[in-house]
Amino acid sequence: MNRVLSFFGAPVVLFARTTRAGAREGVSWRECMVQLHELGGRSVWLVMSGMAFFGAVLVTIANSQARRFVGNVAVLGPAYFELLIRELGPVVSALLTASRAGAGHAAELSTMSVNEQVEALEMSAGDPYSDLVAPRVVAGLLGVPLLSTLGTVAATLSAVAVAGIAFGVDGRAFMDPRYVDGWDLLAAGLKAGACGLYIPLAAAVAGLRARGGAEAVGAATTEGVVTASLGCLLIDFAVSLAFQLLRL
Amino acid sequence: MTPSPKPESPELNALRGVGGLGLEAVRGTGALALVAARTVLGLPRLERRELTRALVQFGYDSLPLAMATAALAGVIVVLQSGLYIQRFGARAFLGWASGYGVLWEFGPLLLGLIMSARIGARNAAELATMQVGGQIEGLRGIGLDPFAILVAPRVVAMELSMLAMSTFTFMVAILFESVAALFTLDLPLRTFFGTFAHMLSPLDIAGGVVKTGVFGLAISLVSTAVGLSARGGAQAVGRAAASAVVQSCAAIFVLDFVLTLLLAGWMA
Repeated sequence: MNRVLSFFGAPVVLFARTTRAGAREGVSWRECMVQLHELGGRSVWLVMSGMAFFGAVLVTIANSQARRFVGNVAVLGPAYFELLIRELGPVVSALLTASRAGAGHAAELSTMSVNEQVEALEMSAGDPYSDLVAPRVVAGLLGVPLLSTLGTVAATLSAVAVAGIAFGVDGRAFMDPRYVDGWDLLAAGLKAGACGLYIPLAAAVAGLRARGGAEAVGAATTEGVVTASLGCLLIDFAVSLAFQLLRL
Repeated sequence: MTPSPKPESPELNALRGVGGLGLEAVRGTGALALVAARTVLGLPRLERRELTRALVQFGYDSLPLAMATAALAGVIVVLQSGLYIQRFGARAFLGWASGYGVLWEFGPLLLGLIMSARIGARNAAELATMQVGGQIEGLRGIGLDPFAILVAPRVVAMELSMLAMSTFTFMVAILFESVAALFTLDLPLRTFFGTFAHMLSPLDIAGGVVKTGVFGLAISLVSTAVGLSARGGAQAVGRAAASAVVQSCAAIFVLDFVLTLLLAGWMA
């Protein structure tokens, strides 16, 4: 029970403190840009290449499923395309970002905690929440939706290419936005935004809690990545369930 | 290493970047091959106690996380396939479609990603801490093979844990799928399991297990190689943990694609 409470509670408390500190001290936009480059610019290759492979897998599956009944990709393509836009695009991109940015943030912050640099920052009238956590949260909120968009585009393009080259189907059948409406885009945006908010918070909770030596850094990194990944799955589940219950 | 003169032209810089990338790729491949070969050589002299410890850590301790992932994956797959299954009016096929999705794709992929986060990062961090602290050199100094003691047990334990967990997590995922289908789509359990049993063969389960096993091997080899090649101070430990996760994730996505093509081609 305790662990469950701290799993959900710690990021919330940290978020509240960060917002308060950010409002009081102000957040350096320059630092936000630096963190956005750290989170976004450096993850872009990982997310895009991962999603490209994922799109190829998706179209392979759609093809083999469709062949059991009728025809080819053209039948199931649009449904899978909606699935990609609404579900897999944001979530798999967010998971990839969580593994990269979550690990990076947790490793950085825990190294700072272990070397007492966080205390040093407080001593010199800095505020760890507004100086360290807030820029990362802003970067996540901006960066993860952007990365999801790029990842979805990469997945779509590679799916179209694979369908055209490997299955001899006109790949544009896959890109049929017949079923995609505003609600799908809203669901995708909500998922990406919430994951972008959660990843830096989970990593910061794990990183700022680290005490000890080099081993604590490793442990904090592990914890940060695991909670960030699991959180992304939970957010995905919660948003999907809400949309399902509201029949949107 | 003599410091080379700085190239002025952008062409040379680009060439340098390409060369650096190529070297990195070759170095990474070489490190992986070395770790794999030394692990196989170390198998007969594998440290038993370390193996049992690793089995408990990788398998038993990861069970709650793997179960939670599987349950979430199952419910998410149903929530999503429900959308278009109702659209096509093919509600009866939900059991087959979602079972196929979990066995072939989401089960192995999500399990691999979560385990690479949990085990890959920890492996790399532990080995990097030992490497940076000179403990690996110490083992060599007293005539012990670090691969037989540290690496081989981890690789074997990871493989066994992943294989054991794969069928287990698939079962949990499918159970949660059927319950989710009952609650959200009012689909009777009988219908769900009917198409599930009717249209899926044991081969489909084998496909998922093979995928998970390959992912496990990739995670353990990549993370130990990254951990052992860490150099520097305390910072290197954090860097190794972070880069192990990233590299195992990338490896999982590439392998996923290759295996899907191979297995789908072989079974069709």
